[in-house]
Amino acid sequence: VNSLINVPEDFIKPRSEKLSVGEMSELVVSPYCGAVSLFLDENNFEGKKVIHLEYEVYTSMAETKIKKICRDFRQKLPSVKHITVHHRLGVVPVTEANVIIAVSSPHSAESLEAVMYCINTLKASIPIWKK
Amino acid sequence: QVSVLYFARSAELAGIRCETLSMPRQITSLQLWEEIVKVHPRLADIRDQVVFAVRQEYVLLGDQLLVLQPGDEVAIIPPISGG
Repeated sequence: VNSLINVPEDFIKPRSEKLSVGEMSELVVSPYCGAVSLFLDENNFEGKKVIHLEYEVYTSMAETKIKKICRDFRQKLPSVKHITVHHRLGVVPVTEANVIIAVSSPHSAESLEAVMYCINTLKASIPIWKK
Repeated sequence: QVSVLYFARSAELAGIRCETLSMPRQITSLQLWEEIVKVHPRLADIRDQVVFAVRQEYVLLGDQLLVLQPGDEVAIIPPISGG
């Protein structure tokens, strides 16, 4: 079973481009996989007047870290097939997605677990800052 | 000579995003911090909140001995807030 990690080329998106759930799903779909899990994190108001958020990133290290997260996770759950992580950079309007993670695997339990692992580890260790 | 990268609050305090600084080949992470603060004294404000990333691995400020090569990347990492 070949594993494809889309992480390096897809991680950085230009700031004018909206993250697309449909596109992310297509990136991970595979005939071997019945389950695709998506995690979507949006800017929201939280009771404050927020027009947009802006992100700053240490790009080379973020890519290295994400690749490592995916590699570590694949050792734990080898059946996970495709993982792709997109994080919007620059200026992100409220109600648009900051992060989308898509994972495919033969069964939904692993797929969901992979997504949760990715987002928790991402929040803890990827060098990205809200301005 | 190493490349020093500043992010978020550290970039605001230092007034710069990256520069090349001369450092001893062997130095503890705490000594490295102190050398950088000599160049940018305002960074002292965030001393308790930052970690380094040396060659893209996180390093705490402390006694850890670093062996630096010319051209190595050292980044000042304030508390992250992505996702």
